Amino acid sequence: MFNKIAFQNRRFALIYFFFLLFLFPAISQSQQNPQPGGQLVLATTSDPKSFNTIIAKETSTSEAVEFIFDGLTKTDPFTLKVGPNLAQSWEVSEDGLEWIFHLREDVVWSDGVEFTADDVVFTFNDLVFNPDIPASSRDIFMIDGQPFAVNKVDQYHVKFILPVRFAPFLRAMSQEILPKHKLEKVVKEGKFNSTWGIDTDPREIVGTGPFCLIRYDPGQRLVYERNPRYWKKDLNGNTLPYLERMIYLIVQNSDVELLKFIEGTLDAYSLRGMDYSLLKPIEQKNNFTVYDRGPDLGSQFIVFNQNPGINPNTNKPFVDPVRLSWFQNRDFRRAVAHAVDKEKIIEIVKNKLGYPQYSPMGPAVGFFYKDDVFKYEYDLNKAKQILKDAGFSDRDGDGYIEDQEGHQVEFNLYTNSGSTERVDIGGILNHDLEKLGMKVNFLQLEFNTLVSKLTSTFEWDAIIMGLTGGVEPHFGKNVWTSDGQLHMWNPRQETPATPWEKRIDELFSEGVQELDEDKRKIIYDEFQMIVSRELPVIYTVLSAKLTAIRNKFGNLKPSNLGGVFHNLEEIYIK
Amino acid sequence: MINNNRHHSQFQLALQRFRGNKTAMACVFILGFLYFSAVFAEFLSPYSYKDEQRQYSYCPPTPVHFFDQGRLTWPYVYGLQLSFNEFYKREYVTDVNTKYRVKLFASGESYKLLGLIPTRVHLLGVESPGRIYLLGADSRGRDIFSRLIFGGRVSLSIGLIGVLISFTIGLLIGGAAGYYGGRVDNYLMRLCEMVIMFPGFYLLLALRSAVPDDFNSVQVYFAIILILSFIGWASLARIIRGMCLSLREREYVLAAKSLGVNDFHIITQHILPHTLSYSIFAVMLSIPGYILGESALSLIGLGIQDPFASWGNMLSDAMSIVRIKFAPWILWPAFFIFLTVICFNIIGNVLRDCLDPNLKGN
Repeated sequence: MFNKIAFQNRRFALIYFFFLLFLFPAISQSQQNPQPGGQLVLATTSDPKSFNTIIAKETSTSEAVEFIFDGLTKTDPFTLKVGPNLAQSWEVSEDGLEWIFHLREDVVWSDGVEFTADDVVFTFNDLVFNPDIPASSRDIFMIDGQPFAVNKVDQYHVKFILPVRFAPFLRAMSQEILPKHKLEKVVKEGKFNSTWGIDTDPREIVGTGPFCLIRYDPGQRLVYERNPRYWKKDLNGNTLPYLERMIYLIVQNSDVELLKFIEGTLDAYSLRGMDYSLLKPIEQKNNFTVYDRGPDLGSQFIVFNQNPGINPNTNKPFVDPVRLSWFQNRDFRRAVAHAVDKEKIIEIVKNKLGYPQYSPMGPAVGFFYKDDVFKYEYDLNKAKQILKDAGFSDRDGDGYIEDQEGHQVEFNLYTNSGSTERVDIGGILNHDLEKLGMKVNFLQLEFNTLVSKLTSTFEWDAIIMGLTGGVEPHFGKNVWTSDGQLHMWNPRQETPATPWEKRIDELFSEGVQELDEDKRKIIYDEFQMIVSRELPVIYTVLSAKLTAIRNKFGNLKPSNLGGVFHNLEEIYIK
Repeated sequence: MINNNRHHSQFQLALQRFRGNKTAMACVFILGFLYFSAVFAEFLSPYSYKDEQRQYSYCPPTPVHFFDQGRLTWPYVYGLQLSFNEFYKREYVTDVNTKYRVKLFASGESYKLLGLIPTRVHLLGVESPGRIYLLGADSRGRDIFSRLIFGGRVSLSIGLIGVLISFTIGLLIGGAAGYYGGRVDNYLMRLCEMVIMFPGFYLLLALRSAVPDDFNSVQVYFAIILILSFIGWASLARIIRGMCLSLREREYVLAAKSLGVNDFHIITQHILPHTLSYSIFAVMLSIPGYILGESALSLIGLGIQDPFASWGNMLSDAMSIVRIKFAPWILWPAFFIFLTVICFNIIGNVLRDCLDPNLKGN
C-alpha cells in the first residue's frame, strides 16, 4: 500500500498496486437493540473515473466501490489479524504452498445469483492474471514473475497453489471477488477494460458487499442502498446492514466539505491541521466528536533523482551528470536531511498536529515499525560541516557552494501546485538550503505533469511528493526493490546499482518467504535501517489523522488502519 | 511629429478636464504612490521578502504603543511569544517586560537602492530581536507589509510591460490590416479572431503549460508577460484596424502616398497617431486584465514562485476559509489588487470622457 502517489486529501491519489487494509466482521457484543434505517452522508472531492475496481489506478474509484465488493478475507484494523469474510475458513499445507479456502455457502450476489467457487476462480484467472487486463493488483500476486494456480475443488472450495512461500498471502486474499455471470462475456469479447465505466447502469454493478450503487450523478453524488441479500447477520439474526442508504456528495474542495459538515449536511469530515482550532471548540454545540486516529500512514518526502540513464529520444542524460554526482553522494543527501526543520514544519504546516518521520514505515504501522533508525535532527551547522567534508564549499565567495570541480550547486525542486502543504514544506526547506549555500529553484507543477516526470520522463532533479502507506511491508515492493516501477530515484533497474539497493532486494525476497512474523520483523528492521542510513528519500512529517463524526452513530469504531467506517454494516443510527 | 496646433490644444483641454475630476486625480495619486513604493521597495519595507522567522507564524499585526505608563513616549512594540492553546489555536502572548523601540532609518538587511547604491538603511525598523509586523505575518512568519511592497513590483510592472508589448503588436497589426485592406486585412483579422475565440483563462493555462518547467522565477516572470501580451493584443488590433480603414482615405495620407513615403512610415507617422486618444484609455482599461491574469496564475501556483512575492501568490495562502478566519490579514493582497484595478478603471473611464472630441465645446 506504499503504492499510490498521493496528492493530498485523497484527491488524485494514484494506486500503483492495491489496497491492503480491509474490514473485519467483528460483531460487537454489547448492542442496544439497533434500529434499521437512516442514512450516512459522506463527501469526496473527486468523481470516480470508473467503477471497474480491477483496473482502478486512483483512490476516487476504489473509494466509490469499497462497500460493493468483498474479498475472501478481512484484516482487523486493530489487531491486524486476518479473519474470515467470503471464505469461512482455510487450510494450508505444511510447506505453506497449498491453500484451500472453504467458501460461505449462504452468499448470493445482489441480483440473486448464487456466489460460488467459479467466481473466485474467474476473478483470479480471468481478471487478475489476464495479460490483456492491466490489473492494478497483479504485481503483488505475481511471485518471481509467476502467477499462482487457482483451481476449483467443488462448488464451495477453492485451491491456491503458490510457486514459493508468500507471507502476506492471507492479507492479499482481501482482493475483491467479482461476479462471473456478469463479466464472463465481456472478458471473452476483450471489452473488460471499458466495462463498468461511469456511464454504466448502476444495477449492472453486482456485488456481495453490504451496499449497492443505485445512482450516480456526475459531479453531484453517488447514492448507495443497502443490499437486502447481504449474507451477514447480527447476533439476533437480523440482516445487516442497519443503514438504509449511504451517499457520497461530490464537492469541489475540502473547504466546501468543511462548511457542509458544520451546517450539518455531512456526517463525517477529515480535518486538516488548522480545522481543529475551528471544530474542536464547537464540538458540543454542534453535536459531533473529533476522533484522533493517530499518525497518518502516508508520507511526505524529498527525493533526489539518481537515475544515470539516458533519454532514448533526445540522447541526453535524464539528469545533468554534474548534478547526478551530487545526488548520488550520500553525504549530500545527509546534509539535506539535517536541513529539514521538522519541528517548525509540524507547527506551521500541520498546526502542531503532526509527527516527524524518519523511516519508510511510520509509527502508525505498529508491529513492523522501527523507532531507533538513523535520525537527522535539524542542525544547519552540522549540515554545513558534512557538506564541507564532502568537498562542497564556497570557493568563489558568491555565497553559494561549489563542488570540487567548481560547479555551483544549483538544482530544481518540484512539487505539485494546489497543495499548500507541500508548497509550504518546500518553501521552508528552500529557505534552509539557501542558508547552506545551495541555489534551489523551487517550482510548482500541475499534479499529473509531475507524476509523469516522476514515472515516465525521468527528467527532474528533486521532488517533494507523498505516498500512501500500509502495514504490510511487502506491498511497498514497487517502491523499494531496484526493479520497482515506483523506485523513484532510479526505477526499473536491471541489476541493483548500489550494494545497499542489492541488499534491500534480498531482504524483500527473504521477507516475503518468511512465515514467522518475528523473523520477518528482523528482516524489515534491517530494511528500515538501510533506508534511513542511505536516504534515497528524505522523510519530513506525518499528519495526525483527525476525523469529526456526528454523534448519532452506534457501533462506531474509528480505526487508523481500516478507516472510520470499516464496520459500516453494523453501524446504526442511535 | 503632429503638426497642427489645434490637436495639441485639444490634448491640453482634455488634460485640463481630467485634472478637474477629483476621483480620477485621487486614483492617479494612489497609483503613483504604489508605483513609487514598488521602485523603492527595499527602502520602504522593514524586512526582505524572504526574511522568514518561523516562530512568528501567522503573527497578527503588531500594535505600536505611544504611551508608557500614561506618558507619551517614543513609539515601541512589545516582544511576542507564540503558544498553542488547548484547541491548537495560535496565541501570541505579549511580553510586557521586553520593549523594542521603533526606529526610523533603521539599519537592516543590506541591499542596493535602485540597484546601484549599496546601503543598509530601511525607512522603518525595530530594535532586534523584536519584530514589527504592520499588517501581520504569513504562515512562515514573513512580514506581509514588506511582501506586499515587493509583490507590487511584480504585479504592477507586469501590467505596464505587458500592455507595452501587446499594444505595440496590436497597433502594428491593426494598422497594417486597416491600411492595406484586402487579403492582408482578411488574414490578419482571422488571426485576431482565432486568438479572441479562445476563453482567455484557458488559453493562459495552455500557454503556461507550454513553458519549460525548469524556468527560474525571472524567466517565468517574462514568460508570463509574453503570454499575457499574446492574449491581449487581438481586441485592440481589431478596433485600430477599423479606425485605420477610414484614416487611410484622408487627404494627408493620400498626399504622403503620392510623395512616395514608405508604408511603414505612413502607418506609424500619419495614421497611428490619430488613434492615440483611443489607445490611451484602452491602455488604461486593459492594464487591470494583466494584473488579474498574473494574480490568477500565481494564485493557482503556476505564476511567480515562492519565495518571490507577487500579490497573486501571496493570496494563494488565503485559499482556505479556516486560515482566513484565524488570520484575516492574509487577505491584504486582495485589497491591493482591488485598489489597483479600480484605480486603472476609473482613470481609463475618465480619460475616455475627457478625450472625446464631442465634449470639446462644453
